[in-house]
Amino acid sequence: MLLYIHIPFCKQKCHYCTFFSVPIFPELLEIYLQGLKKEIILRAKEFNYPSISSVYVGGGTPTLLPPSVLEKIFNWLHKNFSFRECVEVTIEANPETINGKNIFAVKNLGITRVSLGVQSLNDADLKFLGRRHTAREAISVYYMLRDAGFNNINLDFIWGLPGHTPGRWIKTLKKAIKLKPEHFSCYALTIEPGSRLARNKDKFNFPDEDMLGQIYVYGAELLNAAGYLQYEISNFARMGYFCLHNQGYWEKQDFLGLGPSAVSTIGDRRWQNPANIKDYQQMTARKMQGLDYETLDKKKKINELIMLSLRTTRGLNLKTYRKMTGKDFLEEHARLIQLLYKNKLLKASNGHLRLTRTGMLVSNTIIERFMVD
Amino acid sequence: MTRKENIRNFSIIAHIDHGKSTLADRIMEITGLISEREKKDQYLDKMDLERERGITIKAQSVRIPYKAPDGTEYILNLIDTPGHVDFSYEVSRSLAACDGALLVVDATQGVEAQTLANVYLALDHDLEIIPVLNKIDLPGSDPDRVAREIEEVIGLDCSDACLVSAKTGEGVPTLLQKLVKQIPPPEGKPDAPLKALIFDSWYDSYLGVVVLFRILEGTIRLNQPIMMYSTGKKYEVTRLGVFSPEAQDIKELGPGEVGFLCAGIKELKDARVGDTITSPDRPIDKPFPGFKKVKPMVFCGLYPVESAEYETLKNALEKLQLNDAALQFEPETSQALGFGFRCGFLGLLHMEIIQERLEREFGANLIATAPSVVYKIEQVDGQVLEIDNPAKLPPPEKIASINEPFVRLEIHVPNEFVGNVLKLCEEKRGIQKDLRYLTSTRVIITYELPFAEIVFDFFDRLKSVTRGFASLDYEVIDFRPSSLVKLDILINGDPVDAMSCIVHRDSAYHKGRALALKLKKVIPRQLFEVIIQAAIGNKIIARERIAPLRKNVTAKCYGGDITRKRKLLEKQKEGKKRMKKMGSVEIPQEAFLAALKVEE
Repeated sequence: MLLYIHIPFCKQKCHYCTFFSVPIFPELLEIYLQGLKKEIILRAKEFNYPSISSVYVGGGTPTLLPPSVLEKIFNWLHKNFSFRECVEVTIEANPETINGKNIFAVKNLGITRVSLGVQSLNDADLKFLGRRHTAREAISVYYMLRDAGFNNINLDFIWGLPGHTPGRWIKTLKKAIKLKPEHFSCYALTIEPGSRLARNKDKFNFPDEDMLGQIYVYGAELLNAAGYLQYEISNFARMGYFCLHNQGYWEKQDFLGLGPSAVSTIGDRRWQNPANIKDYQQMTARKMQGLDYETLDKKKKINELIMLSLRTTRGLNLKTYRKMTGKDFLEEHARLIQLLYKNKLLKASNGHLRLTRTGMLVSNTIIERFMVD
Repeated sequence: MTRKENIRNFSIIAHIDHGKSTLADRIMEITGLISEREKKDQYLDKMDLERERGITIKAQSVRIPYKAPDGTEYILNLIDTPGHVDFSYEVSRSLAACDGALLVVDATQGVEAQTLANVYLALDHDLEIIPVLNKIDLPGSDPDRVAREIEEVIGLDCSDACLVSAKTGEGVPTLLQKLVKQIPPPEGKPDAPLKALIFDSWYDSYLGVVVLFRILEGTIRLNQPIMMYSTGKKYEVTRLGVFSPEAQDIKELGPGEVGFLCAGIKELKDARVGDTITSPDRPIDKPFPGFKKVKPMVFCGLYPVESAEYETLKNALEKLQLNDAALQFEPETSQALGFGFRCGFLGLLHMEIIQERLEREFGANLIATAPSVVYKIEQVDGQVLEIDNPAKLPPPEKIASINEPFVRLEIHVPNEFVGNVLKLCEEKRGIQKDLRYLTSTRVIITYELPFAEIVFDFFDRLKSVTRGFASLDYEVIDFRPSSLVKLDILINGDPVDAMSCIVHRDSAYHKGRALALKLKKVIPRQLFEVIIQAAIGNKIIARERIAPLRKNVTAKCYGGDITRKRKLLEKQKEGKKRMKKMGSVEIPQEAFLAALKVEE
């Protein structure tokens, strides 16, 4: 089982972000911790003290919490879950929250992987995104992490910002590659409804569709050439450093999400905790389940299999599909697959169907065509 | 039986939004027929659709008992008229059932073309017309100006016009007194052979066909045999009554009275509007004049988006036809759209209403092709064809001549827009017949122009060049030879028959280019390249390319995103169901109407 912990605190909201987070106040932190402790105990018992294969501490800004608080949380986790088979513990960190004081404490939690929110190496971009650090600060924090002994570091980037061109993106990536991180997550800028950016988007000139296509393809090729393998639409890593936790999501493993707004999926059941710290705490106090229950019926499962597996470079396992549906995917979609193949949007080999890089760029349209009604 | 001296049969003539239904409500309320509490806004407009569009599609009548201040008790029969140019025949039959009419004009606006057309109809039937200036409660009202306008335009004495506010009820009691004084009572003898005019009929799933009629001569009794003059079919009256406003059963109705009857009539076409009801025992020699079978003038193809819904669409059309004798349809096949129906309508509004009702009431998911008129084709072999679908035009070498319907079009417009209207009419191949100043600021422009040009984007264009101030009326007058060609559209090399249209040779190149460009705009980028071509015969006259979609990707999809992203894609897929797949190309419904919306 994958374990996700949501730390819902940030100094300030980034302009593009719609994840649940609030400024950190001592009383609120206390309520959150009460809730979290209760939920850990509750769920551990409910699922019979399960064995955890990977942990992902996300947010929010987990590294905003004092080291002592993080320690407390990890103690609760270790007391209630089995970590014997756990091979990966990731924490998300923002450059401005890592310093000489907390870096070793974080390391001592048993964290094996740090995902550093760099987002850009251009200060104008960082300002546009509403980040609270400069490119130089991000780089120096990266080296601090290296010095502290972290040997599996991901750098998060966002591309497709106003003024981005393939040339500019390549320049940024080349700088980043020089740092030799193990992993890159490069996300196309998405204007999420409700974000500050969504309200202001008309003030900016974003690159057009064709330009974005070029940025994506050139960037991916550069990363490839530098020894980073693409294993998902937005994810690249050196051999052996794929993020096991995220791969787990795409392979439809069970995941338990703890903390406000966290989503869990265990078997056919999916639920989400309230995106509000007080409601969350009350829910755990009343020993209640999360909200928005959803039962994953066969149709939903098939659609998620298609949607998630085609995000990865491994692709859709045709045997798995046949087992699940009783249908032959290639026969069912023969005409469309032929057309996609002819237009170099899709490939098939070794019993898998996968999208090419240009196919991935239009994956929403392709996946939707394959989905069942 | 009511004493005919105390009966008044009237209707209200008004332009859309000039307050006809509100006035009707107020009359019913002031006479005590309906109480404030029962009153839904605009009692007479039954269908939601009508209420939304502010128009009455089917006429309804209501019997209103009215006690005048002098103590005389009257029966007022308010006979409603449909308010649109497409239904002018129905209007003429409703007016024929009246002895007088209230001409309601918005005192903030003035006389509109549609009103004028109906006033002329009323004058043709020798109706007593009482001018009524409505909306006097509004600050912008100018009753004097509008009264002058009515006098100048219609030649109706307005010195004694009624000033009312249908909204507040002000002036309505006076109007009622004037109504019973000025509108003459009906004539006719109760023992004469039965002669009753059908001015409306509809299908009720419990009662069968319900017929609304006005008796001109004789008497109708319950259980009496009757005969429809035009068909000679005989029935027995199984139910007789009046609407007041709910149905009330009555044993007999005499001359001048208005009522409804049921007689086990199965189909609407056996009780057509305008036909005369008589008695099989003592038939009349001559029917009430003016009966005609209405002919559809505008045609379009209606296709289910999913071929499996063909039967559902057929059933829906059959149900609508039960209540709409003017709606015609027959099965049709299109290479592009599969099985569907060629449907005939009285006019554009009628077409839009039917399409909307199909979608709203029957949940039909439709593709409508661009409307077409009927063309008369003389072939070289002497054969004459009537085609209502451009795709059926014979190959050019077989055609001796193509004749298209022309309309006489009357447009009322403030004088500052005259130039724009003339320009538009000329562009639409119009021939100017008349240009008259109604008043110093209002003009009537009369043109003869091809009906096809009206069916295209004429209304929208007229509205935009006159900023909504123009009103118009038209009637089809004749067929004239024209130099027309068929314009075909090809998508990725395959002709799309449902997008073919017939256009004038001189504008074919221009239209072809505009249409291809318009399609490029309405068809979204696809996974693959799409080539759109316009062709006349084998000659390609325009080509547009839609580049393949370049980016539509979800950047992040982790545990918390999965449900949302899946639902998003499922919704996207559901939305695309409304598109027609042709080969690999997904074509949105509006693309089939693109011909209507090409920018000039």
